[in-house]
Amino acid sequence: MSREGSSGAGRPPILAVEHLVKRFGGFRALDGVGFTLNAGEILGLVGPNGSGKTTCINVISGIYRPDGGRVLLDGHAAGGLPSHRLVRLGVNRTFQVPKPFLAFTVRENVEIAVAYGRDPHADPREFIAFAGLGDVVERQAATLNSAQQKMLDLARALSTRPRLLLVDELAAGLNPSELEVVAEKLISLTHLGIALVVVEHLLGFIDRIAHRVVVMNAGRDIFHGGLGEASRDPQVIEVFLGG
Amino acid sequence: MLEYSLLAGILFGLYFGLVALGLNLIFGVMKIVNLAHGDFLMLGGYGAYIVFTDFHVNPLITLLVEIVIFVLIGFPLYYLLVPRLQASRDPEMLSLILFFGLSQVIEALATLRFGSSERSIPGTVLGDGPISLFQQTFPVAWVVSGAISLLAVGAIYIYLYRTRIGQLTRAVMAQREEALSTGIDVQRISAIAFGIGIAGAAVAGVLSPFMMGSITPSMGVGITITSFAVIVIGSLGNPLGTVAGGIIYGVALMFMQTYFSSWANLLPYLLLIAILLVKPTGLFGRRMRNA
Repeated sequence: MSREGSSGAGRPPILAVEHLVKRFGGFRALDGVGFTLNAGEILGLVGPNGSGKTTCINVISGIYRPDGGRVLLDGHAAGGLPSHRLVRLGVNRTFQVPKPFLAFTVRENVEIAVAYGRDPHADPREFIAFAGLGDVVERQAATLNSAQQKMLDLARALSTRPRLLLVDELAAGLNPSELEVVAEKLISLTHLGIALVVVEHLLGFIDRIAHRVVVMNAGRDIFHGGLGEASRDPQVIEVFLGG
Repeated sequence: MLEYSLLAGILFGLYFGLVALGLNLIFGVMKIVNLAHGDFLMLGGYGAYIVFTDFHVNPLITLLVEIVIFVLIGFPLYYLLVPRLQASRDPEMLSLILFFGLSQVIEALATLRFGSSERSIPGTVLGDGPISLFQQTFPVAWVVSGAISLLAVGAIYIYLYRTRIGQLTRAVMAQREEALSTGIDVQRISAIAFGIGIAGAAVAGVLSPFMMGSITPSMGVGITITSFAVIVIGSLGNPLGTVAGGIIYGVALMFMQTYFSSWANLLPYLLLIAILLVKPTGLFGRRMRNA
């Protein structure tokens, strides 16, 4: 299922990452990674542990400053901007380990996100319903199970009205029926024109939702294309199976 | 005598809640102890004194103007001092040194400008004659100060629980790191809280000539210590616990002054030690903070 994103002719991609470098001491967590993404497209970011997938999302979402290369949003430089500026530009994310405000209720968590998001008139209930948390609206986030916290994280990110959503291991720990529900939800977001970068270990999940994948290894992109082709690419096989 | 001490204690307690409120708000949001808190209060007091003696302006009007002025001073002061402090290795510890220094600078400049003698404003400018509450009579200034303190605390409550920025402020107070990474503009929220914090000190300062009898440039350090005792009693980082801490402090102070007056000055320290021994999180603390 390889669909093309709805890229208007001549318009820059919503996200372009060019030769991105991030160092931690002497370790190059990102070592020249690059890719582009259009509105309404889902890009799967896959690779072995430590290949730099989450670091890449952390740089794009403003948690880390890049040490080299560029992050372009709609063709404008956005590398190194703080998270709150990026949220205003339409970039938000979910976390591998969700970070809700634990002492606050589900409703308050989403209200807070609306308050710093791009649309102060957004209705928190819309996102809570989308995330399937309608039954736990008044529960403290601390009392939610991990799958619910992940969905709250998604609701929180969406309630800032992102145009680019970075999803870090949302599917890990979900059962097969939950996975299918989440897959459908993420695909439905593309119909609103939202672009998604999805970091995921579950390749079946990536196969279900991503239009294309970028395979990363040691901080570099080593493959661009469909997941099926990737599984036949000798370099990818070597990285994943230790050749 | 008992009823009088209790009611006077509550009036003073409300006032002490206001005195400490800004210190606790700033601590709650920034995890920084503003040791210059009492000096901002002193500046607020001198502002009211000078405007009253030179221009005969009622301190209650000065109070409203000072709120605006101190919020406006707070923003640049925040951006000048705090982000650099937070980028350092041990912001909590270094904040003590930085703000102690600021306190000394403010006190020295104020002494140069205002002299070291005690100043006061006659209590009658706030209204005539004593006011009767529950068959006890109190100076008008005490009752007015208590009422203004209640209003100020109510305003902070509305800010924190009924406004968007207040909601974001509570989120920053609860989990600063998460607030930063999810996209809250933590610097802006903190700058606003800093401005409100020192404006709260200034409001308490305008009332200080009435509640403390007189003001001097060196009053700041003692006020800061008292404020610190009040917020530890109430619970660090919980602005509304400050009111309860203030009332406990105020009532205890009045009883000490009534029955053991020579020991009254020891009170903040005794309460501080007692609370730290019995319930280190403060009476209304929900959890131990990480420090």
